[in-house]
Amino acid sequence: MKTFEEKWTAWLDGQLSGKELTEFEASLPDLAAAEAEKRDALRLGAFLKEQLAAQALSNEDFFSHQLQERIARDTQDRPRSTSTWWTIPRLVWSGATALALFVITTVVLMSQHPAGEQSEYLTQILNSRVDPAANPNATIYIFESKNSNKVTVLWTEGLQTLPADYAAK
Amino acid sequence: MQLRPLLLAVLLVLAVSAVSANAANVVWSGLVIAENVPQPAPIPPELIKLEQTLKDLFGYNQFEVIGQSDKTLKTGQEDWLANSKYFALHVDARGENDAGYTLSLKLYKENDVLLETDANLSKSSPLVIKGPQVGSGQLLLVLVVKDDEAVHRRRHAEPANPITAGWYRLRRIIHNLTP
Repeated sequence: MKTFEEKWTAWLDGQLSGKELTEFEASLPDLAAAEAEKRDALRLGAFLKEQLAAQALSNEDFFSHQLQERIARDTQDRPRSTSTWWTIPRLVWSGATALALFVITTVVLMSQHPAGEQSEYLTQILNSRVDPAANPNATIYIFESKNSNKVTVLWTEGLQTLPADYAAK
Repeated sequence: MQLRPLLLAVLLVLAVSAVSANAANVVWSGLVIAENVPQPAPIPPELIKLEQTLKDLFGYNQFEVIGQSDKTLKTGQEDWLANSKYFALHVDARGENDAGYTLSLKLYKENDVLLETDANLSKSSPLVIKGPQVGSGQLLLVLVVKDDEAVHRRRHAEPANPITAGWYRLRRIIHNLTP
């Protein structure tokens, strides 16, 4: 036994026929109003079908759309690199410049004087002191010899003369 | 993978070179009496290279070593004494630098300090100190950095490595530029 709602839905869908249709329409209090409602329902159904068919996405499209949205979200969330100066061409030029500077420096340094030559360092006297009580007139001079030995000389004058015995080994 | 043995070999060579480059130096310190005598004795072997310089500077014809010390410096922090009967030269090494060693020198006459000085003794530049007049002669203090024998022989056998020389020169320039 069908309920009224089931028969109403079937009537709206045009699925009632014969004796069942006649009995149902006879049971309606206002057939004209029911017919109008049926037409509206059919129109609404047709409209919805049309709209849904136009906007529906296939599974692949839906998946792709979701994926793109996620990628966009991730890209926005990720902190962007702040330095854009070190581009590849600049890196290449910087490397080439550094290499050229190194080569030039090396060549200049190596050509300053022939390899194997002695260091140009001289011995330096940082400070010197003679006991002023024992040698009140003592003075100190510092100089380098003019010849190739590069001898640094600390020359004292005015030190107390000592007897020859002090030359003993 | 084939680069690994090559890299190891290069590192080994560099390590050996570094060890050789930092080989110990010997500092010769001598107490020398210079005087003029009718028949001068031959100059001691340590002073042969300096003979003419000493003669020109001081005007004496004989140089006799009355006390000496050959000190091998490994850390550059050693100290030693070269002494004669009445004099002693105390040398206190305060570290090594590019040029040589920083030394603190004290000349003692018995227990009295006659002279004090601090010096950067260069490996290529001897230091000569004119001390007091002793009788008719003159006391001289001489300090010379002698090369390690092995290094000395190698240097004579082979020319200096230009890369190493360049590197030392660069270090020296940077060292001179920095305050």
